[in-house]
Amino acid sequence: MGNKKILVVDDSKVASMTTCMILSSRYECVTAENGEIGVEKASSEKPDLILMDVVMPIMDGFEACQKIRMQAETNGIPIIMVTTRGGAIDVESGYESGCNDYVTKPIDKVELLTKIESLIS
Amino acid sequence: MAQGKDSPDTYVLQVRDNTRRYVQDLLRENERLNEVTISLEGERLDLERQLLDTQSKLDTQVNNRSKLQEKVAAIETENRRFIEQYAEIEKQNADLANLYVASYRLHSTLDRQEVVSVIEEIIINLIGSEELAILERKPESTWSTVGAFGVDAERLEQLVSEIEAGRGAISKAIAAGERFVASSENQDDLAAPEAGLTACVPLMLDGEVTGVIAVFRLLGQKQGLEDIDLQLFDLLASHAATALYSSRDRTESTDSPGVR
Repeated sequence: MGNKKILVVDDSKVASMTTCMILSSRYECVTAENGEIGVEKASSEKPDLILMDVVMPIMDGFEACQKIRMQAETNGIPIIMVTTRGGAIDVESGYESGCNDYVTKPIDKVELLTKIESLIS
Repeated sequence: MAQGKDSPDTYVLQVRDNTRRYVQDLLRENERLNEVTISLEGERLDLERQLLDTQSKLDTQVNNRSKLQEKVAAIETENRRFIEQYAEIEKQNADLANLYVASYRLHSTLDRQEVVSVIEEIIINLIGSEELAILERKPESTWSTVGAFGVDAERLEQLVSEIEAGRGAISKAIAAGERFVASSENQDDLAAPEAGLTACVPLMLDGEVTGVIAVFRLLGQKQGLEDIDLQLFDLLASHAATALYSSRDRTESTDSPGVR
């Protein structure tokens, strides 16, 4: 059985590349550069978990999270919002859109891996 | 007088016989008790020896247990040290990954707008600020904005004016060719439009300042600048300068007549 797969949805290549480097020793990593592609890849790649940025062009993270939750084949995938927006309102919006957890940028490697492991296992 | 069974002589003989038998019984019993005493004495000596032996073994075990406890404590201390070292190495790995990604992305494109976007992404995602300005020196010491995030146009114009007039912390950093980092000691000296300035990084190319990156307010969840942030500033000081220069050079060369 291979490594578990994580879908990283972020319009910033710096952010997605850094995140994938953090994950690469333990997980398989696939990326999407906006929410719309993220929703498509959630269906096609069937990841074990999704890391979702919030502010993205075409479709933001909240909307993408809602759409993933509405699809039968993807609504069980755990989603962690990964974003610069750490305010209470933004966190609440994240949870209302259906995410399971929230991590703020700049990413703390230990915090991220701990949250991933708690949701995937 | 007739001699019968119960005559005094017979009685005396009986008593004598009984006494003899009794004494013999006593002697036999005494001998038996002597043997028992000797046997018990032997057992006592054996038990004493066993007790001493067991005591000695117990002392050895107590001593061993004490040594093992010391060993366990030493191993636990070593284990804690390894855990701290591992955490430190993990952090170093994460920091190196940030530096690698920043450098890789800066030099992965010759498109000027993309270079500017990469600089912004590094500051937003890796350092943690959504208020920044990227300014470049033009001919005749004028300055212009090449990129900004979270800073309005009016403030950018004021920053350019301050730099061109040689006023403010950013100008000083440019003149010295050294980065400026705000601290509790110098923060109050920052006046508009530099109020809220966290750091500014002169971009250096061949010893010349070609531009500057100004980083203002950090994200709310960021407590302050860390060592890795300063390392990223150092990386930006040279690599961002090179990337911007290369992309400008390419833009100008492709704009030149006769170049396809």
